[in-house]
Amino acid sequence: MIKLEHVYKSFNKQHQPAVADVSFEVHPGETLVLLGTSGSGKTTTLRMINRLLTPDSGQIYVNGQAVAEQQPETLRRGIGYVLQDNGLFPHYTVAENIGVVPALLQWDKARIADRTTVLMEKLHLPPGQYRDAYPAQLSGGQQQRVGLARALAADPPVLLMDEPFGALDPVTRASVRREFQALDELQNKTVVMVTHDVQEAFELGTRIGLMDNGRLQQLGTPQELLFAPANDFVRAFFREHHLLLELKALTLADIRPYLPPTAEDDNYQAHVLPGTTSCWDALQQSMNTEGVLSVDFSTTVFTMDSKSLMTALVSRKNEVGHKK
Amino acid sequence: MQQSFFDFIQQQSGKLLEQTLQHIGLTFISLLIAVLAGVPLGILITRKRGWAAPVLGVAGVLQTVPSIALLGFMIPLLGIGPQPAIVALFLYGLLPIIRNTYTGIKEVDPAVTAAATGMGMSRRQLLYKIQLPLAMPVLLAGIRTATVINVGVATLAAYIAAGGLGEFIFGGIALNNTHMILAGAIPAALLAILFDGLLSLLQRIQLRKARTTLYVLPLLLLLLSSFYLLPAAAGGPLLAGFTPEFMGRQDGYLGLKSVYGLRLRTVVINDMIMYKAAYEKKLDVISGSSTDGRVKAFDLVVLDDDKHIFPPYYAAPIVRQATLDKYPELAPALNRLSGTINDSIMTELNYRVDYLKQDPAAVAKDFLVSKGLWQPPRSGAKGVVRIGSKIFGDGYILANMYKMLVEGYTELRAVTRTGLGGTKICFDALVNDQIDLYPEYTGTGLLVILQEPRPVIDSLIGDPQQVYAHVQRAFATRYGIRWLPPIGFNNTYALMMRKQQASELHIKSISDLVNATRAQR
Repeated sequence: MIKLEHVYKSFNKQHQPAVADVSFEVHPGETLVLLGTSGSGKTTTLRMINRLLTPDSGQIYVNGQAVAEQQPETLRRGIGYVLQDNGLFPHYTVAENIGVVPALLQWDKARIADRTTVLMEKLHLPPGQYRDAYPAQLSGGQQQRVGLARALAADPPVLLMDEPFGALDPVTRASVRREFQALDELQNKTVVMVTHDVQEAFELGTRIGLMDNGRLQQLGTPQELLFAPANDFVRAFFREHHLLLELKALTLADIRPYLPPTAEDDNYQAHVLPGTTSCWDALQQSMNTEGVLSVDFSTTVFTMDSKSLMTALVSRKNEVGHKK
Repeated sequence: MQQSFFDFIQQQSGKLLEQTLQHIGLTFISLLIAVLAGVPLGILITRKRGWAAPVLGVAGVLQTVPSIALLGFMIPLLGIGPQPAIVALFLYGLLPIIRNTYTGIKEVDPAVTAAATGMGMSRRQLLYKIQLPLAMPVLLAGIRTATVINVGVATLAAYIAAGGLGEFIFGGIALNNTHMILAGAIPAALLAILFDGLLSLLQRIQLRKARTTLYVLPLLLLLLSSFYLLPAAAGGPLLAGFTPEFMGRQDGYLGLKSVYGLRLRTVVINDMIMYKAAYEKKLDVISGSSTDGRVKAFDLVVLDDDKHIFPPYYAAPIVRQATLDKYPELAPALNRLSGTINDSIMTELNYRVDYLKQDPAAVAKDFLVSKGLWQPPRSGAKGVVRIGSKIFGDGYILANMYKMLVEGYTELRAVTRTGLGGTKICFDALVNDQIDLYPEYTGTGLLVILQEPRPVIDSLIGDPQQVYAHVQRAFATRYGIRWLPPIGFNNTYALMMRKQQASELHIKSISDLVNATRAQR
């Protein structure tokens, strides 16, 4: 769906390149998170995909076609784009903002209005209240949701997101992120997202590309980055939040082999978690159930407490560590 | 009797309306052109790196050229009338419009333009849908500034025959008529406030409607510009240009109308450029000063005032009686000049000093030598005589001649104090024993120094002899100052035309001119 081949870009010939030899491929339905500190080249990489920047060398393909060969306006109208500072047009109403790309694609008015209403409802912006509001009248979280709706309006197969939740406070950020994850509009979309937030990357990314100094240090699933770091930089990058990230990266299914055999039980709780739940979410859930959890592993249902979950986690770590 | 301000307004309401409409028209035609040129230029320099500084620099330099000088530059290129005024106003309006367009667009949040581009807007769509609407408040502020500047500068258009409220303002200043000044100044100030207010309303309109402004504004400008075309009156084939002062004086245009019945198409113009405009055939008849050197320089001919509406301004030396008593030989020496200089000789002398930039002392000596009056200076041992003069042409030359005569024919030494401001300064210096003599004009003595009541003036003014006799008598009794016999020339108001045109139309006097204009109608 999106493919980069040995892409280079430098803004100043004297300095080292902003992006050097970056190659990756993003498959349909996948979310690739480009993670890194500021100045690592992740935003530059993103902006080359929709031709806001032009690479010095290398090729970029979207939908199997080289972007350099496409009319930039046409290319961009087929790619959703979300920015950190939302970039909403202050002189357009919420509805007009959302309808920008459909209008550029010359949809008829009724179709644009319908689509706008649908998206506003999905993003919890009651159309009756907000349709004719101006961006300045909205809260930060609402503005970011409008930005998201605008990017999705023409139902593009590809979505580029540049620090989409970066400007929000932690509480709002978490709730907007949850809404984002739950959004059915995102099914089957190819997403490239840039962030410097490690937790966000682990929560949202199918795969993560960790960048530093313009180079892709490692590209892989969250677990691969966490448990099989390619170099010292990758290892050091996750050291501080390691436990938290492990909880987020591992699902209950991942630790099943390490659970005590007694856990298998038919007396399961009313609330049953699927096996794909991350350990982190399971632990959070256990706060509401006095430490007792039921997990549906499709063949059997386990009931356990949070303590046995942690024990399983530790024994898994020891075993994986010994293997090395 | 003092006439009230409102009486004046009522009397002149037709003229006031015409001038106001001209003023609005001048302001907005130039503004329209400035917007049409300035906005695209402002947009251009946001796109071309390195263009902003030079373009804004040039526009800034234009802004610093004094307005009257800028109008002066326009004359050789575009003549007189509306065109040079509009071009000058356009140049003044340019800087705020270019600068604010540039700043307005540059200040649009980069995240917004990045988003717009990222959504797939073309550069044109970005400009019209995003940049211009968002820059509109700043852009409008620039147009506001330009409007207020132009309403102010447009008053100067009256100097180059483009009309507007400046006609009243400068006429009023020249005639020392406060009502007339206010009749021009108050509407001009009100126009500035009004347009500033209207544009600020436009500026405050919700952002959303900024897109509407994009289309409304040019239409509005176009409409207001068209005001200038309304009063474009047709008239006779001869065009007259008169100074604001001349337009308002009984012994000027008012007298020409009432006494001669002269009907001409007239424009108001500054006397600095009037002669040249006549020479360049932009004007056919002008009001000038009869002995001005430019009459000769620009090949003009003075029309005979056969019905004597212009007061006599015969030049004569006026001397402190005390000085004359002390040095009895002084008067005969000064009187040697009497009767030797007629109008055309004085014009010739002024021409050499003002136009050929020759030294006044050299010109004075040449003349005395040619008349056989020059003698080498004598001892100068008996005492000192102080000779004054006003700052302009005639005075310098005459003062130099008197110095040579005094030193050549008496044992006195003469010093000159030339360049004494105006009449008041010269006369005060004389009365207070700072100078002993200076050349003065009979008309000035009567109207400016004595300030006789109107009936007295009216009874005297037609007859040069009577005016001279009156000032001679009054100065002697009131100030102890003696008028010596006149030098001969009469430096008064005069109508003048190009020599060639006057001879083609067989015009020698003002009556001939009146007949010629009637015949052509």
